[in-house]
Amino acid sequence: MELIENIQKGERAAIAKAITLVESSKDSDQQISRQLISELIKKPGKSIRIGFSGPPGVGKSTFIESFGSYLVTQNYKLGILAIDPSSQITGGSILGDKTRMVEISKNPNTFIRSTPSKGALGGISMGTREASIILDAAGYDFIFIETVGVGQSEIVASNLVDIFTLIVGPGSGDELQGIKKGITEYADIFIVNKNDGELKIEASKTAADYKSALSYYKKLDELEKQVLLVSAIEQTGMEDVIKTINQIVDQNKQKGIFEERRADQLEFWIEEEVKNIIASDITKRLSSKGNISKYSEKVMKNEMSMYEAVETITKDTLK
Amino acid sequence: MTNKSNNGFNNWQKSFEKETKKNLSDAKSETDEGIDIKPVYTKDDLENFAFVENNSLPGQWPYTRGPKASMYTNRPWTIRQYAGFSTAEESNEFYKKNLESGQKGLSVAFDLPTHRGYDSDDDLVMGDVGKAGVAIDTVEDMKILFNNIPLEQMSVSMTMNGAVLPVLASFIVAGEEQGVDRSLLSGTIQNDILKEFMVRNTYIYPPEPSMKIVADIIEFTSKEMPKFNSISISGYHMQEAGADNVLELAYTLADGMEYVRAAMSKGLDVDDFAPRLSFFFAIGTDFFMEIAKLRAARTLWAKIMKDFGAKNERSLILRTHCQTSGVSLTEKDPYNNIIRTSYEALSAILGGTQSLHTNSFDEAIALPTDESARIARNTQLILQNETGVTKTVDPLAGSYFVENLTEELSKKAWDIITEIEELGGMTKAVKAGVPKLKIEESATKKQAKVDSGSRVVVGVNKYKNPKEPSVDVRVIDNNRVRDDQIKKIKAIKKSRDTTAVEKVLANLTNAAKDETNLLVPCIEAIRLRATVGEVSKALEQVYGRHFAKSLSVSGVYGKQFEGDKDFMKVEKKVIDFENANGRRPRVLVVKIGQDGHDRGAKIVATSFADMGFDVDMGPLFQTPKDVAKDAIENDVHAIGVSTLAAGHKTLVPELMKALSNIDPKSKIIVFVGGIIPEQDYEFLYKNNVSAIFGPGSNIIECAEKVIDLISDNLSKE
Repeated sequence: MELIENIQKGERAAIAKAITLVESSKDSDQQISRQLISELIKKPGKSIRIGFSGPPGVGKSTFIESFGSYLVTQNYKLGILAIDPSSQITGGSILGDKTRMVEISKNPNTFIRSTPSKGALGGISMGTREASIILDAAGYDFIFIETVGVGQSEIVASNLVDIFTLIVGPGSGDELQGIKKGITEYADIFIVNKNDGELKIEASKTAADYKSALSYYKKLDELEKQVLLVSAIEQTGMEDVIKTINQIVDQNKQKGIFEERRADQLEFWIEEEVKNIIASDITKRLSSKGNISKYSEKVMKNEMSMYEAVETITKDTLK
Repeated sequence: MTNKSNNGFNNWQKSFEKETKKNLSDAKSETDEGIDIKPVYTKDDLENFAFVENNSLPGQWPYTRGPKASMYTNRPWTIRQYAGFSTAEESNEFYKKNLESGQKGLSVAFDLPTHRGYDSDDDLVMGDVGKAGVAIDTVEDMKILFNNIPLEQMSVSMTMNGAVLPVLASFIVAGEEQGVDRSLLSGTIQNDILKEFMVRNTYIYPPEPSMKIVADIIEFTSKEMPKFNSISISGYHMQEAGADNVLELAYTLADGMEYVRAAMSKGLDVDDFAPRLSFFFAIGTDFFMEIAKLRAARTLWAKIMKDFGAKNERSLILRTHCQTSGVSLTEKDPYNNIIRTSYEALSAILGGTQSLHTNSFDEAIALPTDESARIARNTQLILQNETGVTKTVDPLAGSYFVENLTEELSKKAWDIITEIEELGGMTKAVKAGVPKLKIEESATKKQAKVDSGSRVVVGVNKYKNPKEPSVDVRVIDNNRVRDDQIKKIKAIKKSRDTTAVEKVLANLTNAAKDETNLLVPCIEAIRLRATVGEVSKALEQVYGRHFAKSLSVSGVYGKQFEGDKDFMKVEKKVIDFENANGRRPRVLVVKIGQDGHDRGAKIVATSFADMGFDVDMGPLFQTPKDVAKDAIENDVHAIGVSTLAAGHKTLVPELMKALSNIDPKSKIIVFVGGIIPEQDYEFLYKNNVSAIFGPGSNIIECAEKVIDLISDNLSKE
């Protein structure tokens, strides 16, 4: 495939077109996309994939702009996948991440792609995993995946990355009660942003809160979770972030956790693909037979019970 | 006895309801500001006022009726027309011509790079030099600007906000080198940075240091330049960006309050500087509302300043310049603009403005020609000399309707001012992006009303002219300007004492770290021939350059179209497109270059998204190269370029080149919207632009055309 060669050469337009293919809902595009990903996955690159999540307003994009600028000055190549929510009413979207990534978006060593979530669960859109494979093949050192921080997204995102970071703001310590378990399991690094100006004291306090709370939830065999203080605006604390990331990656590789995670993720991916195929097949069958409306009418007329209807439809559909 | 309980009113109501076949209570119409206008007002509507005082007189508290007792009966308002030329030489010629015909004041428009603190030789500003005004790189340019113009006699108004320090310093040094002491300089510098963060975007530094600079200038001028107005607090650009009159009024006064606080924080007494604060409002087509706005502005400001402890009467009085609305001008049937501007001018006069600029009818298309500028000036001369409006002070005082509207507007504005104060003042509100978002919401609503036809714009969405007249416009060749400026910069950098300049710039950087008044070291730097760009960068080292967070509204446009057939047609096309192509039509909407007027771009982005498009927004101030990278990485179908400041002839071809540099097979189509003279259409089409949308275009029609063009383009594969 010519496309593969061009991706491996790092051609911007080829990478972009390939990501369009993996995001496309068109059958013919999906077929090409599968071939493409099957080929690319055979020769994995050296990318480290990092997830960034956090509630709206904590300055995720500003942090990424700041951290990313630091990385490109260290001559790293950086790919960024940002997911923006699509409107539930109109289905359209405003993809505005680049307005907050002014400096890095200009840099020739970056590739920044925004993707509308199209209402996908967890704020991770269809194709994000595949897009990261494409950027890996194109030779990017780091791939950032930025997600809208709402509920489920952290868990879904953590299934796509090697390191998962949660960005929080000063004063968010109180919310720890609410996020406790799920998050501590999935996040490797906690970044407390806005460690600047009037908020400095509050930021340190929040970091301390996180540290103590996290040690409380820590499992015996687990690595220490890292809590870092940064200021995206003043670009401070960035060396610590990259140092910590490299440390965790090294440790995980030594202990085999890195590979183990990737294997788990592959398993999860396969399971997900299988489920998707089955689900869409079943949906097709259901709608072609029109059983649901037929039987629900019977239930309405008291000709059969709800659960009898469910059983009958299920049997008929799986036939 | 009140009117309503009297038989006369009951009889009138009966007749009204019979004639209109409507209940009186249903016969209201709501304005953009959310004020219900009744079909009739009576004496009852003058009661329970909190702000307006029914028996006040002109020149007396609360100054609703005008800042002076005699107003135009003694001296009519000042006709002050603003003009921008590309070079200092051309501007100088123009000023001298005006002086010969007896004009006593002049007004300088600067080009965008100067506003943003870049020198003409900076790669970032390639397409912007000499656009929308004159380029000032060093004091030498300023000296050319005022060559043979005696600065001690001339009142100079400068529209400058971002690079206020080096520009005011250059003005002071130019005076010095003419032998004029700065205490004799008179005029106004706009110096209103807060509204830049809200609408115009020609800022350089973040809000807090920017406010410090404003305060430095107020402090310096109040001590050293007693004849100079330190600030012109401007609502004009807010209305131009789509704010309704309540927002314009409230945010302008709230800005004013913030400047007063900033100046007082320097230890100045309020009466030391308040008499030299001046204002600037837009006058749109809502005739009575605009009159009420000026009356309300004076009323509220008097109250505000009294609360600040002002004792000098001159501190309480709001003096204002007005300009007729640029955004009310249409490209279609452009002679209608003469009529619009005339009514707007009359509003400003009945509202009691101190000076006025009337727009030329062709300003929706290009810079004015000599002929259109003459008509614009004559609009005011006819008002002054033929209509008799100067013979009575505040002739609408006592009008049930106008007085009531003044009160209503005051109340609504006061509520917003109170909200802003509760947020901690305008600097904080601006940082949080609240006012910007409110203005964009208002703008999007207005656009939707026009596009859906619920608001009539003659010649645009109704009563269209079947035979559009062709209009001659001014053509400007900007290609030479940049080269000339670069040559001048090179020559100056060669002849100056580089070590001394470096030292003075380092001093300036140090001064920015503490509370020193920055204008003093800036004057030294400029005197030694440091450039505007160098001075700006010296401060940038400490303050950083500000990038605005871009928030956007959604759903506001679409909401005005529930059930609209054309709107639904586009929505359906979008869905069909997605079914056929596996994704939605994806469009990158950008501004290129240093022009920060982003209202048009924002409206297009939100309304396209409301119709179901995926819309990428680029940051402001991008180069064509940045835009191309962005477009290709996101594999968009189309790029929409919004242009206002005549940069399209340089920037669009550069964009095309940049696209094919990254991807020689790029199929991304480009459309352009904004102020584009018809003469340029052919040039743009030759450069492969797929569509051009002028001011007043219906956005639904634009969206449909864009989706059709994209589909055509894809089917060619």
